[in-house]
Amino acid sequence: MTVDANDRVGTGVEGIDKMLSGGLIPARPYVVSGTSGSGKTTFAIQFLQQGVKKGERALLVAVDEPPQEIRENVRALGWDVGKIRILDVHPTAKAYSKRVSLVEVAAQKSVSSLMDTSGAGSKSDALKKASPDLSLQSLQLMLKQELQETKYSRLAIDSLTSIKKLQETMGDTETSIMSLMRFLSETGVTSLIITDLPDPTQLEPEIFICRGEIRLHKRMVASKIDRCVTIEKFRGSAHDTMPRPMSISEKGITVEANKKIPKASLRELQAFTQYVR
Amino acid sequence: MIKEKVKTGVPGLDEMLDGGLIPARTYVVSGASGTGKTTLALQFLAEGTKRGERVMYVALDEPPNEVKENMGSYSLDIGRVQVFDATPDIMNYDKTPVRDVSTERKVEYFGDTSTEIRKTSERSPVDMTISTLQEMLKQEMKVRRYTRVVIDSFTSLKYFYIRTSEENTSLISFLRVLSDLGVTCLVTVQLPEIARSDVEAHMARGEIRLHKWIDGRGLMRGVTIEKYRGSSHDHRLRPMKITDEGVVIKSPVPESEEVGAQEAGSVNAALTSSSGPSGSRDQESLPSNKEEHGPPPLEPTQDERAAKSSSGQSELPKPTDARGAEKQ
Repeated sequence: MTVDANDRVGTGVEGIDKMLSGGLIPARPYVVSGTSGSGKTTFAIQFLQQGVKKGERALLVAVDEPPQEIRENVRALGWDVGKIRILDVHPTAKAYSKRVSLVEVAAQKSVSSLMDTSGAGSKSDALKKASPDLSLQSLQLMLKQELQETKYSRLAIDSLTSIKKLQETMGDTETSIMSLMRFLSETGVTSLIITDLPDPTQLEPEIFICRGEIRLHKRMVASKIDRCVTIEKFRGSAHDTMPRPMSISEKGITVEANKKIPKASLRELQAFTQYVR
Repeated sequence: MIKEKVKTGVPGLDEMLDGGLIPARTYVVSGASGTGKTTLALQFLAEGTKRGERVMYVALDEPPNEVKENMGSYSLDIGRVQVFDATPDIMNYDKTPVRDVSTERKVEYFGDTSTEIRKTSERSPVDMTISTLQEMLKQEMKVRRYTRVVIDSFTSLKYFYIRTSEENTSLISFLRVLSDLGVTCLVTVQLPEIARSDVEAHMARGEIRLHKWIDGRGLMRGVTIEKYRGSSHDHRLRPMKITDEGVVIKSPVPESEEVGAQEAGSVNAALTSSSGPSGSRDQESLPSNKEEHGPPPLEPTQDERAAKSSSGQSELPKPTDARGAEKQ
């Protein structure tokens, strides 16, 4: 019954796969957390791209950035990400007119591939239709529709934090998150859910329901950006528990899984928080 | 000692508990994610089946197929553990479905659990609430006589099964039902990185807390008995390991070393703190006040909590001014 290393889902970042003893366990939801600019979106794209390379179908749910911007950004890295499918749920300009119901919303959004995304931006033609509400509930409905039609093996949501902030119908956020993750598991898709760094005094539901959390750290050490990655949680598998140095270049994210983070930055950190000896 | 104590399945822990748990009471196993709560709970149940007892695992956050898969890496035999899948279904937002209230979930052996996740029924997703769960458990207890029950986790119960404002009263009622059933019960509680105690810890007869932190030596694990009514117990932090056999607890570390570990704190916490309000995951939970024998102090009010988390944990042996520095 043990999970075989061959059954693991590669993340597209070799070093992180090493830290995860081979990769992610399929059909489970995972969280990628970090501050802005820590590389969360880049990591998610690498994860999806890895799937596409293997001939799998991969879906990006774009909330934070409109798809054409994501495309431009990754193009700058010189990647060909044309085959990643994208569900654009980036909020459109508000019409402040009559709202449509959740069910209708689900029917409005459609998936396109990153390649097809029009360069000009879709100019909120939803203005005519009145802008739909974005919420966890409507997202689950949209995904249900899409995932029923097409079989995906990888999915990334960028980001859950935005959905939580943007949704107007607050309702039962906790149960909705539980339901969304359950839905993803039952569908059999391996998913990455991007969130901001969790507040350590709070118990965020997505953090404790997810089956693993990869945390990307970015901070200034000696007026240089210092990056590293930690595996905060990984259910059902051995994993690396130490922070490992990470860098972002034109090749994307690279992690050196066999290197310790430099003593200097560790010391810097410890001096900062006084847990030192 | 009133009755013979219940062995936990972890010899080191039994030692700390002066022989084991007092039967027919409810205990809390708390800790941050990845500290080994589920593993410890399943060892407790496997110990029961080894002794020919009937035991039940109530799955609330992870679906049983995943728990079984995860446990496959241990040498633990959980095949004879009865499992009750109480994980919530996917919510149906399409239209208000006619809810079939009589729909019941059945209890089965872990040995028979499917490798696939249970699929939400299209027609009648079950709307699980704390009261339906309470009724189902009572019903099940009437049918079969259990001696050990694990609720994994109580935190999920709190987050996903209560939709009213009476959070605390329904949780207390649930704990009350558990103790009326006359079984020895472990409920797991997930703590945030900076721990604080909550209602369940006060209601339970004991609390076993699992810790993890990072220092120069790598990832460290430890266990403390925060509370144990009606029995003497070990007040020190004991080092713990998770091996192929599950949780293994060793003899206590000499005093000097222990303090060292505490000061070294958690690199994890240190890492996160550069970008947000933070502190050490183990800071409060480590036995900084290990002399305290009685029940923990009364639960602080919301305001006190807020003040505490923003002013740098007054309970720390060495209050720091790190918080000021962090905000720069």
